[in-house]
Amino acid sequence: MMQLLINGLIAGSLAALIAGGLALVYGVLGVFNMALGQMALITGYCTWWFHQVLHLPLGISVICGLIVGGLVSWFVFEIFVNPFYKRHRFLPLVTTIALSMILDGLILLIFEEQPHAIIPGIKDTFQVMGAWVSSMQILLVLLTVLLMMIMGYVLHSTSFGRKIRAVVQHDQAAMSLGIKAPLLHRYIFIMSGVLAGLGGIYLGIDQSLTPVFAFPITIKAYAAIIAGGKGNIWGAILCAYLIAFLEQFAVGIHWFGLFYIPAGYQQAVALLFIIFFLLFRPNGLFAGRARTA
Amino acid sequence: MDFFLHIIVLIGTFLPTILGYNLVFGKGKILHFGPMGVSVITGYCFIVTLKSTGSFSLAILSGLIAVTLISLLFAWLSLRLNQDAFGVMSIAVHLSALAVVLNWNSLTRGALGIPQIPRPEFLSSVADFAIAAIILSIVTVYIVRKIDKSSFGRQLQALAEHEWHAKSLGIDRNRVHVLAFIICGIGIFLSNLIYLPYLTLLHPNDYQFAGMVFYVMIVVAGMPGSVWGATLSTVLLLALREAVRFAPLSASVLGPVRLMLFGFILFVAVYYRRDTLFPKQRSI
Repeated sequence: MMQLLINGLIAGSLAALIAGGLALVYGVLGVFNMALGQMALITGYCTWWFHQVLHLPLGISVICGLIVGGLVSWFVFEIFVNPFYKRHRFLPLVTTIALSMILDGLILLIFEEQPHAIIPGIKDTFQVMGAWVSSMQILLVLLTVLLMMIMGYVLHSTSFGRKIRAVVQHDQAAMSLGIKAPLLHRYIFIMSGVLAGLGGIYLGIDQSLTPVFAFPITIKAYAAIIAGGKGNIWGAILCAYLIAFLEQFAVGIHWFGLFYIPAGYQQAVALLFIIFFLLFRPNGLFAGRARTA
Repeated sequence: MDFFLHIIVLIGTFLPTILGYNLVFGKGKILHFGPMGVSVITGYCFIVTLKSTGSFSLAILSGLIAVTLISLLFAWLSLRLNQDAFGVMSIAVHLSALAVVLNWNSLTRGALGIPQIPRPEFLSSVADFAIAAIILSIVTVYIVRKIDKSSFGRQLQALAEHEWHAKSLGIDRNRVHVLAFIICGIGIFLSNLIYLPYLTLLHPNDYQFAGMVFYVMIVVAGMPGSVWGATLSTVLLLALREAVRFAPLSASVLGPVRLMLFGFILFVAVYYRRDTLFPKQRSI
């Protein structure tokens, strides 16, 4: 049971990083970025390349990887989102599907299908209350919590954060008060790409990077933000953890002492559970009321 | 010659799916990304029944029941959830269906797929399949054109343009959307009915999300909602997809290059259709 909790915490931290940034984009711009998983993987692969091919120290490789991730996000925003989202917010959904195919092709051409671990080899694991965990995993979970705290501070206690929340609540009202919403849109999109990139690096350090991870990353992140309620960042983060715990417990528990659910159903069980919840609360589990005046 | 016939079979078997999907996504503007999920469920129901009973009639009946139920499920989800949530959740249902197919080994043979699918007696050669595909295409285009021009088609379009206004004119959204999903499902089933015996193999790899993206690309490129546009883009893009096989590239390069090429085509298509793909709601 403890091992399942720890596994859920580790997987949830990865998902929360991605879903948190994405919830901001979805709340502010109302757009879907279906290439998010590929963007996360590209940052992860670049970090792998800096660390394993150029032999740069891990910290510098991570920073370089994040810079590349930020630049890719900026490029994606300018080419695949900005020209479209003001015409109709569903257009970027299709353009980013196109982008996901292009990035998938690029990843396959450059890095091929075999797994790439940023830190290869056996991890130094030890036992915590009966559960096996590595020091790197603990570090990653703590870093995620720290990042969430910084995000919370920025969003709730700084002028920049208040502007973001104002734009989330009512774009045009915020603009009428002098907030440069289009510029914030750009910042938020790049920030979401960098957070997703961190998720990619996290994945590359904790497990390994393969192109097949891209699509499930995107879908689970969207399931979390939809279940969390539109524009509710903390709801999205909570639901990201919820999905991760569901995935772990669904296949890890001996149900009624009779059967185990095969591991292959892990993702399906969590997604179906979210769909089931949404049927009763279509606006999300933690949906708030939007301001109208 | 066989390759030419093969292309005809592919086009003929794709058309019912594409035209059905065009009705939901292109004309109805419903963010439905689940047709591949409908296809995998009906395909497996049809083939598993066929392999276990040997009866085409029973297999068709089982496929029809499956397609009706799964279409109703999607319709219910679309009526219950908002557009965005439905878009993502339709993908989630597809992935879940695929997970079941891949893991229920005793029934579906998992990742191995189901080989040696029997063919009906009157469809024994590629030429027979090509003739059947041509007939199916003509009948499908004719019926979908009729549906498109009927009051049902106009109601679907009105709901897509402005749901509240359409409802105020007495259009029943539930009825129209449920019918649209069922028509789309029947198109998918008709495609499976010819395509799977033609291939004689049912493989889960054919039902990945990449296939769904190809459907979206065809509908967008052919002008969403247009029957002739979708038909023409099906012919051109399928021919292009098959022709790319002959490019002088190794298999490890060809796959990614094809992905990138189709991604680029989809992007260009959306760029040129950006004002018509999801038109802004009319205001008075």
